[in-house]
Amino acid sequence: MEQWIEFAKGPLFAFSFLVMILGLARLVLIQVYSLVAGKGRRLRKAPWGKMIAEAGSWVIPVKHLIPGTKIFSTVSYLFHFGVLIVPLFLADHIVLWEGLLGVNLPQIGYGLADPLTLFTIACVLVLLGFRVMSPRTRSMSTKTDYLLLLAVLVPFVTGYLALHPQYNPFPWDVTMLLHLLSAELLLVIIPFTKLAHIVLFFFDRVSGLHWQLRPGSGDQVAEALYGKEAKV
Amino acid sequence: MRSHRSSFDITPISLVRPLHAGSPKKRKRQKDIIMDGSKDPATPKTPAPAPDVKKYPYYIENPVTENRVARFLEAFAAILEYSDYRPLLDSYCRSSAKCNRCAVSCPLFLTTGEQRDIPCYRTNLLLETYRRYFTIDGWMKARVSGGFELTEGIIDEMLDGFYRCTACRRCTRECPMGIDHALVTHLGRYILSMIGIVPKALQVSVREQLEGETRNTSKVPKTALLNTLEFLSEELEEQIGVKMEFPVDQPNRDLVFFCAVSDYLMEPETLMGNAAVLYAAGDWDRWTIGTGNYDGINYGLFYSDWHLERIIKQLVGEVTRLNGKRVLIGECGHASRSAHDFVPVFGGREAYPVINFMEYTLECIRKGKIKLDPDIVEERVTYHDPCNIARSGWIVEQPREILKTFVKDFVDMKPDGRDNFCCGGGGGLVSVDEIHEFRMSIGGRVKAEQIKQTGASICIAPCANCKKQLKELVEYYDIPCKVMGLHDLILKAIYVPGGKTPAERKEEAAMFEM
Repeated sequence: MEQWIEFAKGPLFAFSFLVMILGLARLVLIQVYSLVAGKGRRLRKAPWGKMIAEAGSWVIPVKHLIPGTKIFSTVSYLFHFGVLIVPLFLADHIVLWEGLLGVNLPQIGYGLADPLTLFTIACVLVLLGFRVMSPRTRSMSTKTDYLLLLAVLVPFVTGYLALHPQYNPFPWDVTMLLHLLSAELLLVIIPFTKLAHIVLFFFDRVSGLHWQLRPGSGDQVAEALYGKEAKV
Repeated sequence: MRSHRSSFDITPISLVRPLHAGSPKKRKRQKDIIMDGSKDPATPKTPAPAPDVKKYPYYIENPVTENRVARFLEAFAAILEYSDYRPLLDSYCRSSAKCNRCAVSCPLFLTTGEQRDIPCYRTNLLLETYRRYFTIDGWMKARVSGGFELTEGIIDEMLDGFYRCTACRRCTRECPMGIDHALVTHLGRYILSMIGIVPKALQVSVREQLEGETRNTSKVPKTALLNTLEFLSEELEEQIGVKMEFPVDQPNRDLVFFCAVSDYLMEPETLMGNAAVLYAAGDWDRWTIGTGNYDGINYGLFYSDWHLERIIKQLVGEVTRLNGKRVLIGECGHASRSAHDFVPVFGGREAYPVINFMEYTLECIRKGKIKLDPDIVEERVTYHDPCNIARSGWIVEQPREILKTFVKDFVDMKPDGRDNFCCGGGGGLVSVDEIHEFRMSIGGRVKAEQIKQTGASICIAPCANCKKQLKELVEYYDIPCKVMGLHDLILKAIYVPGGKTPAERKEEAAMFEM
């Protein structure tokens, strides 16, 4: 079991991290390339100021707390802090990052990490609750939407149990292995699911670019479908 | 006061149809029409559809009945090949979170609570189609597990959903991912239009504008335009006491004026207000109306890149013909947005600067070129932000600044500005008369409530589409509020050099009404 854990901490972690980075890089490259190749100079004419201001308003999205979404929005916003801070800055994780990337990240103590982990778990449960309880959200949810919440939940639960043996009904090594594997699975699926919004968020937000339509394209489409003499 | 409408009888008002608000019986009949697109009491000559013809929620010239799935995919493929929608769809497909925040920001969903009115649900119909038929992921997934398939039923859902949405972009503003549902609606309508599924009212107008003789959506011929301008001139002389000959086809002018052409038929007060501002500011010899093209309307913005570009080029061509310097757009939301945003995109080297009339008026006020009498308007006034120039544009504060200079009792709606609710007639829906009942009882219900809550007796709506919709709405809901353009109100309060004072005019008008 010890070997398995070492394997998961070492090569498997490196592999899954690489998959995530390459996968996300692929998405970014495709976006940048197709935008530059397709839009070219028209990118300069886009309303950049307005787009940046709009995106900026989501850093602290207080003004987006519209009636009917207040609890959901607050929870999902705060949830992102837990999801980012604990995996990056927990003492035990810093060792992993240093081993893999050689970077020395600042550290948060257990005094903060523990409540933050529990808070994140609670957030996931609340989000899950919204998805199940709200008829309109439930009707639109697919299996993936539930599985992804589960995929985020498992590493946090197992991580917490691994650090708190007193609450853990399972053997430590099993919990730890499960923690590592589930976290790595999460890294791997990021670029292939909606979790890719880590990077695509920035490309989604620039719809101002997409309104910079390609001159002449309408004529070409009409000609392709109806020939040169296409009429309205 | 003299009736304006009678003076317009000479013009063929092809698109002006009677309102259907009123008795419950009429409303019920309208409801039946919505349920069953084949009934049309207004145009009984329409041939009865064959039994197997799909029922569309709006009139279509030649309803497509066969092979719609294949044709839809063919049109989609052509659009993807020649346009730049791929990166957008790739990104949206992957990151759409389906959190449903958009639902509670949508005035339509807030009214109906139906799944088909959730912006994300509607957008997803097109995104799923893209994923399944135009990406490797989707193709593989389909091989492995089946999943989504484009069917006639989904096409029905799309052609219904994309024309229930008014493309107001309120959901776009509230989407945490930034998914532009209105752009997806635009694309969806574009694809549908390329297989012939588009409301007849829009298609007929665009055809006249691009291929007809009059080159405008309301089929107003040049002679009718000239007659109308003469009438406006006479009316101004009678009201204000100053003769203003409208400058027509004058070359080398700074401003070339385009309004929604329907204003020439239906909104003489707005145009007279525009004229009064230009005259009072001393800019009468700096502007002109071109007779080659005098329509700012651009339905292409609502449903087709193809038409959007051609209409913009037509507008730009007229400015070039007259050797004008700038484009001045009258009180119209989508005309302003389409010119402002797309003249730079499609205008090439002739990308003239575009300003909205309210910007011009504000500039005149700030420079002290015009003066407005603050004692004329005593009623409570509120302001409706047209989505295309507020949320999707750049005009929020300007009209408020103008109004506050001469209106004592100004109240804002809640919410206002960029968060304002759509009138319910956006995205071209207001021109589709057969969905009148839908626009009133569903699309505009939130807006009607908003207007009612302000307690205002005048609602300013500086947009031809919003104005038409809101006028119908206040009648439908019996709200004691008069809907008008900003310049209709300015006309009452403006000092015109050499003319009667606003106070004198007000007195005269009061006498006349008695």
